[in-house]
Amino acid sequence: MFELDIAMKHIRSRHRQTLFSIIAVGLSVAIIVVSMSMLSGYTSILIDSTVEKQAHITVLPKENEDYIHLYHGLEKHVYDMEGVEAVSPYFQGEAALQHRHDVEGVVLYGINPEDENRVVNRERDMFAGEFTSLANPGSRIVLGYKLAKNLDVGMGDTVTAQIPESGPTDFTITGIFRTGTPADETTAFANLERIQDFYGAGGVVTGMGVRISDVYTAETLANGIEIETGYDAISWIEQNADILNLLETSESMVYFFYVIIFAISGFGIANILIMIVMEKVGEIGMLMAMGAPRRSILLIFLLEAGILGMAGVMIGAVLGYVSCLLIASYTIPVPPEMYFGMDHLPIVINAENFVTAGVFAMVINIIAGMFPARRASKMNPVEAIQSV
Amino acid sequence: MSDEKIIEIRNLTRVYGDGVEIRALDGVDIDIEPGEFLAIVGPSGSGKSTLLHQIGILDTPTSGTILLKGVDITKMSDRERSKTRNRELGFIFQYHHLLPDFNALENVMMPLLIKGVKRSEAKKIALDLLEEVGLSDRIHHRTTQLSGGENQRVAIARALVNNPSIVIGDEPTGNLDSKKSDSIYELLRRLNREHNQTFILVTHDEQMAAKTDRVIRIVDGKVVEDSRDGVPVREI
Ligand SMILES: Nc1ncnc2c1ncn2[C@@H]1O[C@H](COP(=O)(O)OP(=O)(O)O)[C@@H](O)[C@H]1O
Ligand SMILES: [Mg+2]
Repeated sequence: MFELDIAMKHIRSRHRQTLFSIIAVGLSVAIIVVSMSMLSGYTSILIDSTVEKQAHITVLPKENEDYIHLYHGLEKHVYDMEGVEAVSPYFQGEAALQHRHDVEGVVLYGINPEDENRVVNRERDMFAGEFTSLANPGSRIVLGYKLAKNLDVGMGDTVTAQIPESGPTDFTITGIFRTGTPADETTAFANLERIQDFYGAGGVVTGMGVRISDVYTAETLANGIEIETGYDAISWIEQNADILNLLETSESMVYFFYVIIFAISGFGIANILIMIVMEKVGEIGMLMAMGAPRRSILLIFLLEAGILGMAGVMIGAVLGYVSCLLIASYTIPVPPEMYFGMDHLPIVINAENFVTAGVFAMVINIIAGMFPARRASKMNPVEAIQSV
Repeated sequence: MSDEKIIEIRNLTRVYGDGVEIRALDGVDIDIEPGEFLAIVGPSGSGKSTLLHQIGILDTPTSGTILLKGVDITKMSDRERSKTRNRELGFIFQYHHLLPDFNALENVMMPLLIKGVKRSEAKKIALDLLEEVGLSDRIHHRTTQLSGGENQRVAIARALVNNPSIVIGDEPTGNLDSKKSDSIYELLRRLNREHNQTFILVTHDEQMAAKTDRVIRIVDGKVVEDSRDGVPVREI
């Protein structure tokens, strides 16, 4: 491989300039690796918290109907479907909660706490008391931490629920939850039968939460439920389409910037190679006279682009990795509820991002090297030799 | 008869330029026998270098043919041209054209490495040739650490390292003083005798030309004289 010998010599004899182009590639790779890792971090946090804090699929009444009647049969049918782990029927209504002079409008859910816990782990979010206390069909209520604060109530206190259809009913607070989301201010849970009774709608529910084993099959499973049962089924993906679209858009926007950053470092590589080729015209001519075929000349300069790029990618990967670790270890001084309950910047360090950034950089560097390399290989040997 | 010739040049013409035509070579016919040591002379701009570039397969003629060992090199593919240059031809130019990033030994090894010879083997052959040109003690020097004459000796060793059948030199001593020129000439002459390779040297030094076996004089792209020891090879 005399081509590699020559490529290495060209790089070594110009180590100062080549170092700069290597650093340029390294920095661009590092920046992109960090940015990809942060984006992965935000994406996974967003998706994790989304699929943890809501049902993967929500089954709703048929079109033009308010309730799901005879819901036990539907519950069993959905539960028996492949990939379904748990089903939790619920009755959702609006109510005003009153304590002394404070009144707050809330969304009141009637649920079976065991079923509900299996679909969304409410127990984990409990700040005080137990979610399963709602298994008792009495007038018990679990409400959000902000809501409790606004109503100025605590465990064991009584709040009065009011709806137009029925007289005021007192509920005893047996639990307070805290999720770090707006639900803390607007949501309350009670026993399903008690709420059905309260709204005068016995034997019906307004929906069912479903938990599935693979969250990425939610869309297909929701379609399956709609086809098999005729009820409306919405997956978490559909429900969060706006956020997910935004995420995808920002991801493609970011890729646009990646291309620009890599192009800049690619220009650095092209620049140094153009310099070397210009300086080496006579040498290229002599190599041709010695019988080096054109493709060897091409290879010499592509190898140079590849070696510079490779060195840059390696430096960039190490730099990017260290930066990711530093950022991940940094504790952010913000109230947790502002950042999905996080106190660290979310960074997911996965090999895929490094490989993507590295391959991306190499491809752009080889493309950058292609122009000077082709120019060198297409030289007229006589002119090249006489140029000295 | 033709198998005695190593090179047969027939009606070789090279025209430059699209607008104003320059006939750098104009119907050249030359036969060269193996082992000949010949000089091509002529005024500046007469077409000497152009002829060498044609024989060296570095350029393509406008018309005419060159048979090298019976094979028409003007019809070769790019790949075959490279291969033939590597196997059959050794080049010495006015400027040594050594690779500045490599030392003398590495420079001499280069044609062998291009050929695909193993590194250890290439080193042995290159060391032998460096010894022949009297540079055994300079093998790790680079061009910047060698004198003009020494660099040209390295270039000669490099031209001969693949054991080519033809060595062509375009004013190989043109850049040296007369004392060094003489010693380079003596070296080339000795190598020609020892290796029995064909040497074709362009020179404007008539004294040096007179010491060769055969002189071909070119004027305006035409051969005007072709003589061995003063006796015409053929009537022009
Ligand atoms: N690449 C070229 N383009 C145009 N004209 C050329 C080129 N190379 C050589 N010539 C012309 O061809 C003629 C012969 O040149 P050359 O073979 O270099 O002469 P010599 O080596 O005998 O001095 C000259 O007139 C020169 O100007
Ligand atoms: Mg000339």
